[in-house]
Amino acid sequence: MVKTKTWIIIISAIFLLSLVFSLLIFLRPRRAGTAEIYVDGELIRTVDLDNDETFTVDTGRGVNTVLVSAGRIRVIDADCPDRVCVKSGWLTGSAPIVCLPHRLVISFSSDTGGPDAVAG
Amino acid sequence: MRRVAALFCALLCLASCSPAPKKHSSTLFAMDTVMELQVYGDESVLASSAELIKELESELSATDEHSAVYAFNHRSAGLSGPALDVLSRAMDISRLTGGALDVTVYPLVLAWGFTTGQYRVPDKTEIAGLLEKVGYEKLTGLTLPEGAMIDLGAVAKGYASDKVVELWREKGVTSGLMSLGGNVYALGVKPGGDKWTVGVRDPFSDGLLGSVEVENAAVVTSGGYERYFEENGVTYHHIIDPKTGYPANSGLASVTIVGPDGTLCDGLSTAFFVMGLDAAAETWKSYGPGFEAIFVTDDREIYITEGLESSFSVMGSYDKSDVRVIRRGQN
Amino acid sequence: MNVRRLAKDAVLTAVALGIYVVELQLPALTPIPGVKPGLANIVTVAAMFTLGPADAGGILACRLILGSLFAGNVAALLYSAAGGVLAYATMLIFRRVLTKSQIWVASVFAAMAHNVGQIAAAMALTSTPSIVVYLPVLLVSGVAAGLLTGLAAQYTVKRLGKHLK
Repeated sequence: MVKTKTWIIIISAIFLLSLVFSLLIFLRPRRAGTAEIYVDGELIRTVDLDNDETFTVDTGRGVNTVLVSAGRIRVIDADCPDRVCVKSGWLTGSAPIVCLPHRLVISFSSDTGGPDAVAG
Repeated sequence: MRRVAALFCALLCLASCSPAPKKHSSTLFAMDTVMELQVYGDESVLASSAELIKELESELSATDEHSAVYAFNHRSAGLSGPALDVLSRAMDISRLTGGALDVTVYPLVLAWGFTTGQYRVPDKTEIAGLLEKVGYEKLTGLTLPEGAMIDLGAVAKGYASDKVVELWREKGVTSGLMSLGGNVYALGVKPGGDKWTVGVRDPFSDGLLGSVEVENAAVVTSGGYERYFEENGVTYHHIIDPKTGYPANSGLASVTIVGPDGTLCDGLSTAFFVMGLDAAAETWKSYGPGFEAIFVTDDREIYITEGLESSFSVMGSYDKSDVRVIRRGQN
Repeated sequence: MNVRRLAKDAVLTAVALGIYVVELQLPALTPIPGVKPGLANIVTVAAMFTLGPADAGGILACRLILGSLFAGNVAALLYSAAGGVLAYATMLIFRRVLTKSQIWVASVFAAMAHNVGQIAAAMALTSTPSIVVYLPVLLVSGVAAGLLTGLAAQYTVKRLGKHLK
């Protein structure tokens, strides 16, 4: 049998490692000019964050209302049971806004404005 | 209990088999360059597109001994099929540009070594002699005058992009993008509804000078930076002026043409590069709608035609103030 | 399965469900989906180490299904089921290598396995691999929650163990 002390060391190591990674992911400042909205992993809309607007996304499982304001984006209303996407607030860092019941994901565009192709 | 667990696993697997994103892409090497194709939807069109391009290559290549163009150049056969089609398109562009694009410039390109990579500067008498063979207007009745040869390379990739887009449309593809060695064609818009963003290479660095947003359009750039060699401190690039027999020296570093007709864009990018800014701008003005252009001068100034005013943006070391707009109403 | 055992399992399921429903009423600690104490797992862990894997599995399955019905969030069942299956498998393994005073260790690893399962299910269902970035955060919360429920289960087994058997 493994000593209790050994278990404590293993668990503490995992805990600290995860903590460091979490902080890196959530505190890493990440800004992009566009955000992408995915439903079922399919890109359904690219949002220009420079244009303030409110729009609804009908995911087929329910409706999420998205607000774009001053270069930021968030879900302000949803008819899902847990409404975690609404409570998530503004999109920050590398962690996307996720509405699991509607399988909706909002994240900053991964390519930082690079072109789709290059002529020449 | 095992059954319950198994049931959950089965449910999980079932639910995870949702339709995946439908972007398909492929890369191929043809017409001496790297080509990238990307479509949303039907994956099988990629293989048939590659086949189509290879087929065109085998017809249009000036160096492939089995091609229709090679046979024509060596007097062993007349021209027919796609090669004839491409030739007549090229002739139209020659007439439009006063011969700035000329398929019969090929003997000079050979003499400069741009087809083989064994570059050399031909002497004046050699060039003068070869220039006598050049002239698209001599190509009447589809027979080649003594010593003349044609090369469809200046429009081949543009023509190929038109044919691939035609195939995509037939197969019901509504969104796709291809780069045939820098000859870009964007079909439809991106799945999210946005236009495609196509970067324009900076002729003075490895980066981009800007980008255009397009839908259903080709974007083709020609510039001396694409292929060149140096001898005794002088740079010689691959775009030969059919009037002089020397690399075109018109004050332009690159020309980009944007429009729905890939063949036209490809041919015009070369022709405009040869013609220089003023003559090219006049041609654009008299042509009417159909294409737009981006000119970069040797002095690093950028000129765009008015149709690109809202879709072109500069980047990198360039500033908005470097961009001038050419309008039809002005001189 | 005798009636006595069935009754015991039923009572424990009811207790677990009660804890689950009460926990639902608590305000969310963070806006991150999947971060919660999971106090109902005190029952699962305790059952695993007293009644054995069969009873613990049954209690867990019933609690997951009924719990999602009570919460009115059937969509969430897939995520918790994915987590539940992995957590259950993890406990089965740890059960063999732990002493009676190390029950809480199994709980911590089960909680982490639960998070891995949740994320895997979410990645598969949304077809968005990038949400894997939530894993470290979920593991932090998983260790904390697993420790809390694990220690609670440890005391439960110590005090009530003989009644449960």
